[in-house]
Amino acid sequence: MRAIFIKTLADLRRRRLQAMVIFLTVLLAMAAGTTAVTLMSQTRDPYQVAFEKQRGAHLQVAFRPNTDPQLIQGTAATIGASAYGGPYPATNIQFRFGDRKFYLDAVGRDNPGGAVEVLNITSGRWPVANDEIVLTRSFSELNKISIGDRLKVTSVAQTPTLTVVGEVVDIDEGSADLSSQRAWMLPAALPALSTPDSSFYLMDYRFPSDPTGPQLQTSLDLLKTSLPPGSVAGSLTYLLIRSIFNITNQILTGVLVAFSVFALAATVAIVATLVTGIVISAYREIGIMRAIGFTPYQVVEVFALQIVMPALAACLVGVPAGTLASQPLLANSSHALGLAYTPTFSIGLDLLLFAGGILVVAVAATVPALRAGLLKPIVAITKASAPRGGGGRLLRLAAARLRLPRPVVLGIGDAFARPLRAILTLVTVLLGVATVVVAVGLPRSFELINNSETGAGSYQVVVTRTSAYPDSEVMRVLNSQPETARVVAVGGQNVLVPGVGDPVNTRLFRGDTSRLGYLMIAGRWYSAPGEVVAPAALMHDAHLKIGDSFTGTANGQPLQLRLVGETYDINNLGHSLFMDIATMASVTPAVVPFLYDVTLAPGSDVSAYVRRVAAVEPDLLDVRASDTSIIAPVKIIDLVLLILAGVLALIGVGGVFNTLLLNTRERIHDTATLKALGMSPRQVIVMVGASAGLLALVGGLVAMPVGLSLHHVLNDVISNSAGNETPPVAYAVFNGYELVLIPLLGVGVAIAAALIPGRWAARTNVVEVLHAE
Amino acid sequence: MDGRTFFRAFRGGGGGKNGMSELVRLTEVTKVYQGGITGALNGVSLIVEKGEFTAIMGPSGSGKSTLLNLVAGLDRPTSGSVAVGGTDLGKLGESGLARFRRDNIGFVFQFFYLLPNLTSLENVLIPAQLKGSDATARARELLGQLGIQDIADRFPARLSGGQQQRVAIARALINSPTLLLADEPTGALDTHTGDQVMELLGQLNRDGQTILLVTHDAKLATRHAARVISVMDGKIVDDARLESPERAASEVIRVRSEEASR
Repeated sequence: MRAIFIKTLADLRRRRLQAMVIFLTVLLAMAAGTTAVTLMSQTRDPYQVAFEKQRGAHLQVAFRPNTDPQLIQGTAATIGASAYGGPYPATNIQFRFGDRKFYLDAVGRDNPGGAVEVLNITSGRWPVANDEIVLTRSFSELNKISIGDRLKVTSVAQTPTLTVVGEVVDIDEGSADLSSQRAWMLPAALPALSTPDSSFYLMDYRFPSDPTGPQLQTSLDLLKTSLPPGSVAGSLTYLLIRSIFNITNQILTGVLVAFSVFALAATVAIVATLVTGIVISAYREIGIMRAIGFTPYQVVEVFALQIVMPALAACLVGVPAGTLASQPLLANSSHALGLAYTPTFSIGLDLLLFAGGILVVAVAATVPALRAGLLKPIVAITKASAPRGGGGRLLRLAAARLRLPRPVVLGIGDAFARPLRAILTLVTVLLGVATVVVAVGLPRSFELINNSETGAGSYQVVVTRTSAYPDSEVMRVLNSQPETARVVAVGGQNVLVPGVGDPVNTRLFRGDTSRLGYLMIAGRWYSAPGEVVAPAALMHDAHLKIGDSFTGTANGQPLQLRLVGETYDINNLGHSLFMDIATMASVTPAVVPFLYDVTLAPGSDVSAYVRRVAAVEPDLLDVRASDTSIIAPVKIIDLVLLILAGVLALIGVGGVFNTLLLNTRERIHDTATLKALGMSPRQVIVMVGASAGLLALVGGLVAMPVGLSLHHVLNDVISNSAGNETPPVAYAVFNGYELVLIPLLGVGVAIAAALIPGRWAARTNVVEVLHAE
Repeated sequence: MDGRTFFRAFRGGGGGKNGMSELVRLTEVTKVYQGGITGALNGVSLIVEKGEFTAIMGPSGSGKSTLLNLVAGLDRPTSGSVAVGGTDLGKLGESGLARFRRDNIGFVFQFFYLLPNLTSLENVLIPAQLKGSDATARARELLGQLGIQDIADRFPARLSGGQQQRVAIARALINSPTLLLADEPTGALDTHTGDQVMELLGQLNRDGQTILLVTHDAKLATRHAARVISVMDGKIVDDARLESPERAASEVIRVRSEEASR
């Protein structure tokens, strides 16, 4: 055994550069893989811990204000809930802080405890007076509101001022960047803030064990039947909240797992190439080893250990590094859930990953090393090295026909002289370039979708009115501004859709909606009253397809609707309906818009417009420039993608570098001969560079369709997780020239990577090489 | 064509010293290897005339191959200067040396050193293609002259040793070099094939090709070369211009016995 280690260590010293390539590729692959697996395994736990700790509600139901609270309370027993909270009086309020206005659902509660939905006070205290309010920490952090700040309520005529006295974490709602938020006051404070159309009761239910989606639906159906029709205004399940909490990590996990597999596949390809190359060039050495007493098994061991040892070092660094890299994301989840962050990882899992990584590398190294063990000593010792690869002739001939310079022709032939090595190298290039394609494409797809959701490029100003300021006045103010080019007014009204348990939120438009920028997936945008457009999740849950007519219920009235198109909308995870306001007016004449998307004439000063319109009625109008910024989870995903693309591209470069190193070392004798015949150092570098360029070009060209397909699939996975299908425009985010430029960049990088082995080959000492023969 | 005929033809057509001009000049050349490679040169001065067939003889490690490498510009002297065709090789950089070899030198190696993944024709064409010229017609002509036109499309692995060395000679000649260097060109061949290769070199010389041959085979050297330089321990110990085969034999015997007595 000692002899094996001594020989292995000696070989490692001799092949430092290759050992470094193995170390780096395994390190990157293991770090990415560990991050993915740690995220995957640990993401669910913190939510579950917080849910139990804060006695989260499995079901939350909003009731209309005219429902009898006694009846509401009785529903807990009706549906078999083991605990309940409420009914709490609640009202939707608008308040002003600085020059910004916000909406919240203010809930009346005496204390933060109880049997369900315990509120975890992270700072400050619970309200003790009617002019005090507690916000969620998520909302405070997002909007930079601190304890002691004063909020002016603008949704009621008296415009009372509230003081923020505390921040809480509520397990029963999503984070502020993804969900609407609640605030808490003493129940006695609510009547002064309520208007008839903004009040409701909120009731929390908890069941003995975690119910499934269908079980919750059954409970909700039972609850509805126990109350007068129309009593239920809305509902929320813990499953949806959990999805919202975990959506970033879920998407990230999917992306990370996919690319970790890529990285590992590329590593296997590099290891196999490397060991094959070493064995090929070491026939004589193998012969000598066998001659002095190494068994075939020991020979294999020596060659495999040369790879396993740097891989072992890489795993020792990579697994902890990956675990560490996952911690900020997990800490983020813990923070959002109100849990104290403690490093979250599993030693057992890390050990498993460690062992798995070593095993994969060991197998990838051992299979080609078997060739060394199986060599007959006399054959090995007499042949000195394996027969030279004879591939690449056709390529060389083709290149010669193109009258390319001879060094280029020779380099092109060398690239495929050993077809298996070339293929394995192509795999690493392919994975690297494909990842780059995804990393370039996905952020653009996200941006397109984000633009459709935020109206970027379609409208520049969003105005929201309070009920105290009439729609007609808003329109008059807006239309009197010289910069106003178009106003689309938006209202909302929940509709019950057959087959869907929760009331569906609608967006009711008045005005020219053709240029609002909503992305269509199939069918068309509505063009007449009665026509509606919906995202995939609603279509799926309601078993609707384009062209179907169905009867919804709004305000207890039947509403005839026909689905004419599928659009993209992440609100409520794809459960919404888009229609002309006239459609709803047929059953709810009182419905009026509350939000206005304003398109300004080109060249208008948006800030000046916002200031001027806001000044018209500072308390009753909220005027702001359309917020088109990318939401935080998407930014995180973009960043992770960028890092992964860098990692895979590096591995790809490592693959090309490794192959060139093997090729140039294997062909050192030929290079020396060529130099003796008059090949200049520059021509030698060109020859090696041509080899690298061709490998990168072929790999890059194959990678483009692979990358585009992967971009397609990931788009679908991410869209589906948000209850949508991918809009076709989100696939087509690449310019024609980019499809050429990306592989060409790959070629450029590969040629740059070829400079080291190229210069090394160019400096070949002809006399020494030929003398050593 | 037998060896004697070749030799006679050489004697008749090679010309004497008169009418020749200097092609290679080594001045006080010393080469010291630090890597443990033997064969250092120690203050060697030498002039080779155009059209000469010069054989450099000596035992292993005497420095004869080093001398050839210095003339080819494959290696640089530790001190002294090497000039070929009036060009001081010491003043050329790596690229300049490569161009110099490409334009002026043809090299025939003991182990042929054909590129295994190129056909015979492609191997022959390489030096011309490195210059950027298309010499397919000349390559085929050379293969024809060397009697191997039928193996043009074969790979080296499918050629006999003699065929491989002929391909190597054709490759060395493709750019019409002013100087043909041959390092033990028969060392890897059987006697019969070796004779054929030497006859070929002799014929080339008769056609005006300057040849510098390194060999340790005295018989070969004296049969074909007009001048035999004996190298020992990095020094020229004898420089014999052979006027007749008889003289040649005696000179060589003298040199060999001196070597033995050292």
